[in-house]
Formats: sequence, structure tokens, C-alpha cells
Amino acid sequence: MLQVAKNIYQYRELISELAWKNIIVRYKQSYLGIVWAVLKPLMLMLIFTLVRSFVGIETGDIPYPVLTFAALIPWVFFQESTSEGVISVTSNAPLIKKIYFPREVFPLTAMATKLVELVISLAILAIMMAYYHLLPSIYALWIPAIIAYAMIVALTISFFGAALNVYYRDIAQALPVGLSLLMYGSPVMYPLALVHKKLIVEQAAGEWSNTLYTIYTLNPLAGIIDSFQRVLFKNLPPDFNALYPGAILIVAILPFSYLFFKRAENWFADVI
Amino acid sequence: MSIIEVKHLTKEYQLGHIASLKETALNGLRLLTGKGTHKKEPFKALDDVHFSIEEGEVVGIIGHNGAGKSTLLKHLANISKPTKGQVIVRGNVAPLIEVGAGVSPELTGRENIFLNAAILGIPKKTIMQKLDEIIDFAEIEEFIDTPVKRYSSGMTVKLGFSIATSMDADILIVDEVLAVGDLAFQRKCFDRMESLIKKQGKTVLLVSHNIRQVEHLCSRVLLMDHGHLLMDGDPKTVCNQFYSLSERQIKNTQDSNSKLRQNVLSSNDIDLVSIEAFDGQGLATSSVQYFEDVEFRLTFNVKNRLPKPVFGFGFHTTDMLYLATMQSINALECEELMPGTHQVQFKVSRFPFLPGIYSIRIGVVLGEFFHPVFYAENLFPIQVTAPNISRSINSGSNEGFIGLDVTWSLIS
Repeated sequence: MLQVAKNIYQYRELISELAWKNIIVRYKQSYLGIVWAVLKPLMLMLIFTLVRSFVGIETGDIPYPVLTFAALIPWVFFQESTSEGVISVTSNAPLIKKIYFPREVFPLTAMATKLVELVISLAILAIMMAYYHLLPSIYALWIPAIIAYAMIVALTISFFGAALNVYYRDIAQALPVGLSLLMYGSPVMYPLALVHKKLIVEQAAGEWSNTLYTIYTLNPLAGIIDSFQRVLFKNLPPDFNALYPGAILIVAILPFSYLFFKRAENWFADVI
Repeated sequence: MSIIEVKHLTKEYQLGHIASLKETALNGLRLLTGKGTHKKEPFKALDDVHFSIEEGEVVGIIGHNGAGKSTLLKHLANISKPTKGQVIVRGNVAPLIEVGAGVSPELTGRENIFLNAAILGIPKKTIMQKLDEIIDFAEIEEFIDTPVKRYSSGMTVKLGFSIATSMDADILIVDEVLAVGDLAFQRKCFDRMESLIKKQGKTVLLVSHNIRQVEHLCSRVLLMDHGHLLMDGDPKTVCNQFYSLSERQIKNTQDSNSKLRQNVLSSNDIDLVSIEAFDGQGLATSSVQYFEDVEFRLTFNVKNRLPKPVFGFGFHTTDMLYLATMQSINALECEELMPGTHQVQFKVSRFPFLPGIYSIRIGVVLGEFFHPVFYAENLFPIQVTAPNISRSINSGSNEGFIGLDVTWSLIS
């Protein structure tokens, strides 16, 4: 893991140049430019708000559009950086065949690219919060840490997926399906408090309730999204009870994912 | 200590597609149940290649297509990993393997300079200092803020080359890059390479099909063939060996071609049975020494009476450039040829063609009106050799085909 950090530092110029290239290439000849980057969370927010007006989701006293937008920001960041990360190696085949630098630069670059889009989304969130007269608490200082954790989660999947995708392109096809399923398993449309209330307070699934809640929070996104909303709106620190199952899972998987990537890296140029 | 050490390097590739998911699963099952897996025969792109290079050496790598040159460079640049053996490189490498690999068409020239510099690991500070020099060298001042996709292909390559050579590396790996741009730019590239090599004393590995260039620039040449390191030595010896290797290859394909006799036009009155060549001592040979005597014997099988035959005998290059034609008219007295086997002898004193591969064409016409009864070209490949001249200097395609019997003197 120390090696990753060292590589990030050593290749920071390359990562920033490549990320900058990605952004320019993507938006250079489009009229709306980088606005497209925030269109996805905005559209999803509108749809969710519409759906909620039919089905009724208990969300407490925070206006639903801003609450769900705050959930969509880390979610879309995670989803996009994972899917970009997984195809990052295969889509840079010409570079891989011609020149050597540590290949983890590619998933990291995918992530850095998405960070720029995240900043724009955060600006829009700030405008929405101003509109609803919501002030972030001092706990909002947790946000960089939460985003960093989301990046680690995305990297864990990216390393493994990107390496496997070099051999079997099925991965890049299957991943969007898996990720859109995961969205419904994450507190994006509904708040985590609702799950907590059903399972822990009301014990809706009988004796399985506590186990089910732990399984639910094994999804690191549950803790990430919940913490994001808590520090912004609820004047509360992150809820570590919701964070730790997912965190343990990630800490256990990340080293293997990285080692798998580094081992597979040796044959990228031959197979790709 | 050597700057590059390659120890018994072997690289194998699986031929065909990589195993599908299904095959992998089935193989896994077979492993679990203790049965052998289906293995495809691997292809050896490099086979036990062993050499080392000292600092400051300029090494050329030559060989036919598919000999393993580029695979070898990929191992030195750390892009591929060996199947067996070891590659040790002490120093940082600037790979010029196909310049412009990292050039992105959407970015402008200037943005591409920064991007490619980052890819090559050149610090931003260094590139800022060298920016003007790079733009100047690439001759693209007025287009520097235009996206590269609007560049001509020559401009793109010029840009790539000038970025790559601005890197301050210990080892330069060059794969066929000197064949870029127009002639004036090629000259510039060549000069820059020469200054990198001769003035700055860099270690350079150069892969090229331009053997002249290799012989001129390099102090040592490796000859690769089918994954093996065939020869390793001084440029002249190795390059000459390469020439005779490729000529043998051309000859082999020609030998098999000439058996087909596709290129014979005949009226069926006369047939060519064989062509033989004999050297000055009268021994049968298929290779001719440059500036030595040689004799050709053509055996014809005549089926019908041929009045007043005239024989034509000519040489041409493998790409069908006619070099010389001799006719027997007024030189060979022959009123008629009766049915049966006849031999025509044809002697060349001091064979004048420069080393290389040549072929023979033969025609027979009849009577006063030169009525053609037999014509064939590309019949008999002859290899001209000369042990004491450097082939790169006197090779057919570059310096003409014919040697003259001259005497030099200096009058001062």
C-alpha cells in the first residue's frame, strides 16, 4: 500500500496531465462543455423527487431534492470512477504497448478526472442549500475524508476489474448492470435512517433484523452516503456503526485487489 | 558494470486467441479432477537471447520482419516481461518506440508537449525550459495552438520526435523513427541522433531496416533471426552477413518460383532444359564473384528445325529492372538448328555487377524477321558476392548496379 502512495506522489504530474487530457477531450467540442458532467445527478434527482411524490418515502425534515442530491453526489462519483477505472487500462492500449510506467496510474487518473466533476456537483449542492436556507455544520470538514474513503472503495473495485477486463472484456459489460443494482441497495433514493428504523427500531424482519442491517452496511456506500448527509444537514459526525462493516470489508479486499493488479500488469502489453 | 544485461531471455506467446472464460473454467475443472489441461503450443518470439551492453555503446539491431527485434526492445523498455531469463537495465530509458504513441488528437500541440513529457517522465520544469526548443525543432510554430487532429501526419511525427529526444535519459531506444517526415526533417533527426550519440555519449539501441544507417551510426550490431541472436559484432561483418542472409532468402523463393515456369513464352519448337553457371576454374556454381570471369551454359531441346536462330541473353534485378541484354546476332554463326539437344555457351569476363541478387532472361528469335519462338525471364537467380567490400557502401539499391574498372590517382 505504501508503494501506491509513493507512486501517486512520483507520478502526480502524469496523473494530473492525463486527467486534464481526459477532461479536455471529453468536453472540448461540446457546446455545454463540463455542464454535462453534472447533468446525470441532476436528472436522477428530478426523477427521484417525482417518484417520491407518488410512493412517499419518509425523509425527515430536510427537503427531499437537496437530501437526495447530497446522496447522489458521492454515489455518482463512486459509480463513474469505478466504471471509468475498470475500462481505463483497456482504453489506453496504445500507451500500454509503447511505454512503461506503473499501470495503476490509469485507474488513478480515471478517479482524478471524476474529482473535477465532483467539485462542480458540490458547487451546485451549495447553491441548492443556499436556496433552502440550509447551513452546513462544522462537521462538514469531514467531507474530504469521506470522499477519500469513497475513492479507496472505487479503487478496490477498479484495480481488480481493470486487470480482469484486460483478459475478459465481459467485466466492462457486466459492471454497469451490477452498479445500477447496487444503487437500489444503497441509501440513494431513501435515507439510511429509514432502513435503520425498519430493521433496528421496528425489528421488521424478526430475529434476522440486526444481521440484515449489518449485511446492508457491508456495502461501503451505505456508510459513505449516510455520513455525507449527516455532516452536511444534521449537524452530526459520521455514524461509525454504519461505516465499520463496509470499511472492514474494503480493508480486507484492497491489498488482494492491488496485488492482483500488479501481478496481472506484467502481461498487459502481451494480452491487451 | 554493464548498463544493460540480458540473460538467457526467452519470451513465449500463446498463438491464437487467449482462452475464453469457458475454456478457463473447463481447464480449472480438469485441474481439480487431476486431468491434464489443454495447452496450446507456445510461440517463441525470443529464444535464449544473451548479451550485455556497456555505457556509451551504440548498438544496432537488425533482422527480418518477425525476427524478434521489437519484442527485444519491449523487454528493455520494461513493457513486456520475460517468460524465462532476466533483463537488467541500470539507468532510465527513453523509449522512442514509434514516436507519437501518446499524442492525443484532440489536444493542441502545446498541450501535447506537456502531456507527452509527463508520459515520458520529464519534469514540468525541464519541459518549460525546453518548450521553445521543442517547438522550434518540430517546425510547427504557427500550428502550436491548433489541435493535433488538424495536423498533417508528418507534423504529428515531427512533434513526437522532438518531444521524445528532448528527454534527458541514459538510454535511448529507437525503433525505426528516423524514417519520419520529409527528407529535410529526416536529415535533422539524423543529425540530432548523431549529436546525442557522439557528443553526449548516450547509450543507444537502434532498430532499423536501413542497414546503411545502422552501419554508419552504430559501433556494434546484433543480428536477430527467428528469435535467436545470430551474430553480435562489428557493424561491417554483421551487416554483410545480413545481406547474404536476405539474399539467400530471395534466392530460395526464386528457386521455387522458377520451377513453376510461369514466365515462359514458347512456340513449342524449342525448350530450355537447363542453365548452368561455371566459374573461372570451370566449376559449377550458383554464385558469381564480382569482377571475376563466369560462363553460362544453356541447354536447349529443339523439336522442329529452326532456321537462322538468334539468341538473346540478359540480366535483370529482382524487381525487374533490365540491366543488360546481349544478342548473338553477328556474334554466333548458325544457319539452322536441327531437332535434338543443343548447348549454347555464353562467357562474361570480369562480371561487372555489384554484389546482390540478379536474374537471367533468355529469348530466341528466328530468321531475318526475328520471329520469336522462345522467351523467358526471371529464370536463374545468380548471387554476386565480393568478400572484401562493405556491402552497405556498395549495395545494389543505393549505389547503382554496375562496377567499372577504374584506376584512381592523386595529382597534386
